[in-house]
Amino acid sequence: AAEPWPENAALYQQLKDEQILLSDNASSLAVQAFLQMCNLPIRVVCRANAEYMSPSGKVPFIHVGNQVVSELGPIVQFVKAKGHSLSDGLDEVQKAEMKAYMELVNNMLLTAELYLQWCDDVTVEEITHPRYGSPYPWPLNRILSYQKQWEVKRKMKAIGWAGKTLEQVLEDVDQCCQALSQRLGTQPYFFNKQPTELDALVFGHLFTILTTQLITDELSEKVKNYSNLTAFCRRIEQQYFEGHDKDSSTIAARSAKKSLLR
Amino acid sequence: MAAPMELKCWGGDWGLPSVHPESLTVMAYAKFSGAPLTVNIISSSWKASKGDIPVLISEDKVISQPAKILNFLRKQKYNADYELSAKQGADTLAYIALLEEKLLPALLHTFWIEAENYCSVTKPWFASRIAFPLSLYLPGKMSREALNRILLTKGGPPLYSVTEVEAQIYRDAKECLNLLSKRLGTSQFFFGDTPTTLDAFVFGFLAPIYKVCFPRVQLQEHLKQLPNLCRFCDDILTCYFRLSVSGHSPAGQDTADANLQKLTQLVNKESNLIEKMDDNLRKSPQHPPRKLTTLKLAAGGEESSPFNRLSP
Repeated sequence: AAEPWPENAALYQQLKDEQILLSDNASSLAVQAFLQMCNLPIRVVCRANAEYMSPSGKVPFIHVGNQVVSELGPIVQFVKAKGHSLSDGLDEVQKAEMKAYMELVNNMLLTAELYLQWCDDVTVEEITHPRYGSPYPWPLNRILSYQKQWEVKRKMKAIGWAGKTLEQVLEDVDQCCQALSQRLGTQPYFFNKQPTELDALVFGHLFTILTTQLITDELSEKVKNYSNLTAFCRRIEQQYFEGHDKDSSTIAARSAKKSLLR
Repeated sequence: MAAPMELKCWGGDWGLPSVHPESLTVMAYAKFSGAPLTVNIISSSWKASKGDIPVLISEDKVISQPAKILNFLRKQKYNADYELSAKQGADTLAYIALLEEKLLPALLHTFWIEAENYCSVTKPWFASRIAFPLSLYLPGKMSREALNRILLTKGGPPLYSVTEVEAQIYRDAKECLNLLSKRLGTSQFFFGDTPTTLDAFVFGFLAPIYKVCFPRVQLQEHLKQLPNLCRFCDDILTCYFRLSVSGHSPAGQDTADANLQKLTQLVNKESNLIEKMDDNLRKSPQHPPRKLTTLKLAAGGEESSPFNRLSP
């Protein structure tokens, strides 16, 4: 039997206006979208040390009852154990496809976001370093920033992205968006009538890319090339996020973000 | 039409043209698309190189990663994907990402990190293929790189050491194999009757798991429970790589032959008995002479579709 979803479930992420970065915001938005699609209420709590509170070191994480679960994959499984699932109606082959496309987004989009944030010198200097350590006093803010950058660069090297130039990364993003656009076609969601966790994940990443101001607009231009993807984002935003006055409202977040980030 | 192309890669054993997943992927794609590659197997007389393997050398260009090599081949008009629809092309990308994220860590672990496997099979095999001073260093380096990759992509607090990540990555890999099996179903290749890029990648990743004999083989055992994937690998090996039917090592082939001989003798004995019965029956005026069944030796399954067609 499924336990009821408690009223005070909370989702933790970094500080929305000053600290959170593109990739973390995308992941957090994906989880929020997923929970909205499941009709599970959750409130967003912003903490400067969210990354350290998380059991796996990654944001976002949710605190439900007395359990703490982080990252979209485990959260989907946790929610399924509680009896809510978006992908039950899919057959086996479709489930395989869904998992494959989720890996594509993680593999290409998320890695490209991380690359842009931490390996592109201009972005690092002007956006990432000031934002990442902003809640902390000097020199702690610089130390934490450099430490995180070193970690991310090691990971990029291990998977072979260290040798890529920014153009190549943007090309990969374009390829990924093209694949998503072709898969989506003219349908409202990726698996026609009902949204699934794949829709939540894609929405999280694409919406964040579209609404975050970076040094240049190249990344968001890549996504804007595909009109069905922008329509998809708008549709999900209207359906699941409008009419909320809480912090998680992305309309407010969008205008807030556009004004800062410098 | 293009300049001659040369592919440097690791060699094969256990019935495979190459033991290295990425080399195997490129070789398979070249066969599927009909690209004329001369394959240069790395041997102990070969000088040291600092790049990744496999490496494609064409005129002056040196291209190193499988994705880039495949792109280059496509630009040279050796395209195995030209019949795919846009959606299928998108599916290809997605499934390749799935392979890299879910299956590759376990593959790397089985080859390079599992202590028994590494010491008894992988390290001696690779060391024997490289010139002396490098053979002391290179396998170790490849092992460290594999470990690094797994820890950085899959491990993170609280999973700092490999043992904790192990369970997770093998679980992911088995799930990935199940998903691939469901997607393949009963069809010949992933997108119908002709092989494409995705088939090359899946073959490149699955065949080493399937064929290489390790002491610790949990992934291989899982794979063997998915007969359509095993059949997929065998088909490609027999049709495109013209290797022996079962691809067994010589010892295995002998036992298979011995079994076959025994079976042949049994059936021949039976047919002799039937002949005798026939003679008896012919004395009484009833049945027309019966045809004797003969044992047909299984031939290598010939693929009907041509495998060396070039794209327009």
